[in-house]
Amino acid sequence: MLTKLAGGRVYDPANGRDGAVGDLFVRDGRIVADPGPGAAPDEVHDLSGRVVMAGAIDIHSHIAGGKVNIARLLMAEEHRAAAEEPCGCRGLATPSTHATGCRYAQMGYTAAFEPAMLPSNARHAHLEMADIPLIDTGGYLVLGNDDLLLELLASGAGEAAVADYVGFMLNATRSLAVKAVNPGGINAFKYNQRRLDVDENGPFHAITPRRILTALAGAVQRLGIPHPLHLHGFNLGVPGNVEATLDSIAAVDGLRLHLTHVQFHAYGAEGDRKFSSAAARVAEAVNRRPNISVDVGQIMFGQTVTASADTMAQMNNAGLAHPKKWVMMDIECDAGCGVVPFRYRDKAFVNALQWAIGLELFLLIEDPWRIFLTTDHPNGAPFTSYPELIRLLMDRDYRLARMAELHPALPEHTILGALTREYSLGEIATMTRAAPARILGLTDRGHLGPGAVADITVYTDRPDRRAMFEKPDLVFKDGRLIVRDGVVVAFLQGRTHVVEPAYDPTIESWMARRFDERMGQRLTHFRIAEEEIRGGNGLIRHACQPGSF
Amino acid sequence: MCPFCGLGCDDLTIEEEPPSTLTVRSTDCPVAREGYSRTTAAEPPRVAGIPVPLEEAVEAAAAVLAAAQTPLVAGLGTDVDGARAALALAERLGAVVDHALSDGLYRNLAVLQRTGWIATTLAELRNRCDLLLVAGPDPAALHPRLFERWVAPAPALQTPPSREVVFLCGEPLDSTRAALSGLSVTVLAGDSARVGDAAASLAAALADPSRASGTASIAAGDIAALAERLAKARYAVVAWAAAAFDGTHADLTVERLVQLVRDINRHTRCAGLPLAGHDNVVGVNQVCTWRFGVPLRTSLAGGAPLHDPHRFAWARYAAVADAVIWVSAFRPEVPAFPAEQTVIALAPPGTAFVDEPAVFIPVGTPGIDHSAHVFRSDTVVALRARGLIDRGLPDGASVLKAIAAALPEEAPAC
Ligand code: SF4
Repeated sequence: MLTKLAGGRVYDPANGRDGAVGDLFVRDGRIVADPGPGAAPDEVHDLSGRVVMAGAIDIHSHIAGGKVNIARLLMAEEHRAAAEEPCGCRGLATPSTHATGCRYAQMGYTAAFEPAMLPSNARHAHLEMADIPLIDTGGYLVLGNDDLLLELLASGAGEAAVADYVGFMLNATRSLAVKAVNPGGINAFKYNQRRLDVDENGPFHAITPRRILTALAGAVQRLGIPHPLHLHGFNLGVPGNVEATLDSIAAVDGLRLHLTHVQFHAYGAEGDRKFSSAAARVAEAVNRRPNISVDVGQIMFGQTVTASADTMAQMNNAGLAHPKKWVMMDIECDAGCGVVPFRYRDKAFVNALQWAIGLELFLLIEDPWRIFLTTDHPNGAPFTSYPELIRLLMDRDYRLARMAELHPALPEHTILGALTREYSLGEIATMTRAAPARILGLTDRGHLGPGAVADITVYTDRPDRRAMFEKPDLVFKDGRLIVRDGVVVAFLQGRTHVVEPAYDPTIESWMARRFDERMGQRLTHFRIAEEEIRGGNGLIRHACQPGSF
Repeated sequence: MCPFCGLGCDDLTIEEEPPSTLTVRSTDCPVAREGYSRTTAAEPPRVAGIPVPLEEAVEAAAAVLAAAQTPLVAGLGTDVDGARAALALAERLGAVVDHALSDGLYRNLAVLQRTGWIATTLAELRNRCDLLLVAGPDPAALHPRLFERWVAPAPALQTPPSREVVFLCGEPLDSTRAALSGLSVTVLAGDSARVGDAAASLAAALADPSRASGTASIAAGDIAALAERLAKARYAVVAWAAAAFDGTHADLTVERLVQLVRDINRHTRCAGLPLAGHDNVVGVNQVCTWRFGVPLRTSLAGGAPLHDPHRFAWARYAAVADAVIWVSAFRPEVPAFPAEQTVIALAPPGTAFVDEPAVFIPVGTPGIDHSAHVFRSDTVVALRARGLIDRGLPDGASVLKAIAAALPEEAPAC
């Protein structure tokens, strides 16, 4: 079947199209070249005047796995309240799998990636992701606090052995990328250490966070994983943590590194309140180094719940829980999880400044190919607040009006008022489509060239950008129309994106012994079989290119 | 991979004697031996006691359910796929959902939802714990190999690799004593119905040793000494099996244990291990939570799922339900329901009924007749148990899907 999307204004940065009017053709779920005047499309959508982009891709959103379910349990009040209104699940911080897929699709997203899959919880995360309808998914594997890796490093293992270990783990857990969360810190917390400096030896294994960070960044490069090491850095949320953030950039010494929810890591400790914006310093460092990318982790005001593997940081935040309840877990000798409900208040100085810091980062980091739109769902805000965030980026007057409603001391502490930049539609398309696909190695997504998967979103060009991005006119997934005028009109199942880097399997016998001695689970059972992912029908493999980055 | 009690032992040797007799050789775990021994030959489904082909039984079940006003989808002793199918069916029907064994789980979840907690998992217990405090009746009665597999081996990630075990308000079973024979074991047997009081006394003594008081038939000196050891431990674990607690407000016992764990964490590291879980109750609860945003004991009758752990407990709701679909794939047991209730039972062949159900469909057991995902009791680790034999039985998920497919068409909503 041939479908023609006629006459839309196409924003496809990967192929150099910035709003020029043109036609798109879709056959068998993929975009094809113009078949010429002889072809008779089976279906034509007249898109004149509309804005056409690829389906959006969220590179960092906590949508599945143990901590998400704990967050749902803790947020029972939210669900109870939602149950009382019709379709009240719209803005939930902890939506069900079904609502997650629907809400993303309704906003024109066709993929979202779970950025913190613990090795021991990977099978659960995959089972859960398979129940998210409509969108593609995948997981980043959390390493860097796993006793096995720390032991390997402590034994003096070389780069090759570390890469073999990481390679095995990515294959066994069916992951797309490597994530490090406060490297060494979660492990240290299990030995009652409540903080750990970048150059301080951790307890038991006596390895420094810097060593873990560089070893993982090196392994990612050696294995040729498309996505750089995805780092949740040090001292999350602590005033003055910008020094550790800049230090992390220096530590990897030119290797590629992705700093996630960098808003939470761009804090100074200056001024009358000992809490200040260090966005300009972070932005300057990112602008200068093409090996660095970031996503923001913007906060928005209201009730949400924070969920992170970083038990060390979350334990420090537990006193701020709202409502006053929280969960910490030490998990399976590989990491942990901390779930703390939180309400960001627009009249609170700290929260207002966090909001401004996020926006400063967006506006000061110049290259839209290296900065990504995230709220670290649900930590900064639910992903359903993206349209509002896009409006803040595209509309300076609106931004200033919002700023005026916040804590009165804010203007003295932020340069936001002076930043005149407004994102263009092309830049939004880059940041939410083309760049995420590129940085994850998804070569046939995020663009609209021939061969690309026909994940397509069509909007009416409205001056109110929030209204525009909240409710696309049409959303196609794999060439099928799934959303019309904001309503889901068809259900289908997404796929699971993975990498399968090559590694030397001799590492497995060492690991198998350790599993037998410690884990109460055999290595062969730990490994997730292909048929376990979406019944064997779900994997999309992306190529690794060892040494090429 | 043993799917029965939630400890996930994957070291079993199981022999098959054709046709379909399974014997566990490598362990004398009574739960596993019993679970694997139940491999009665397949039998046909029955409608009103009369053997019928599967399709007919499915049609009959769908007819009953389509007419029901207040259906209950419960038992839910099934794997992840079975849970998905059962919950999807319940959603179509607007039913109430619950697991047969959710009582123990709910004592824990009630506290998780009220206050949160600090918890740990089995491999952390095995490799880091230097002081294990077992609160209340010995959990090994429900989870037989807990001590053998997770406590007896020395903690590999502590120096020195030492461990001691204290039983508080409960006595270790003989098998537990045997498993712990090399370790230092202290028994403060006390009064098992007053575990919560003992936890509160420990918390008080922790804050101020001079305030140590005797409680639950345990002497003040013992409380003070234990509090001191907990404060000095490097990584203490407090384990309990809430299903074994007596009394109507057992969740308050759990709450005090959780509070004790938090208090100890002010000084050192400590984490709770709230055990729950035969018949994949933990996994079914996980699936329910991710699919609906709320745990079991939920009504799908209105628009959005409504969770109420009191009203929608299956034993209470059964009194008003007009049709019950009961899934028990792990054991040939179905409770007795009032005679006027229409019951559809999915259970292993050979299940004995007090009253013949309206529809009985024999199904295979996850991890025996078909490969299956089940969750470990610590909620983190999902396991895959492979099928071992083929008795020609359908799995629960496909029967439930077939029933849903036989219902009148209905457009899915978002
Ligand atoms: S302890 Fe539990 S998991 Fe282990 S063999 Fe016995 S029943 Fe199976």
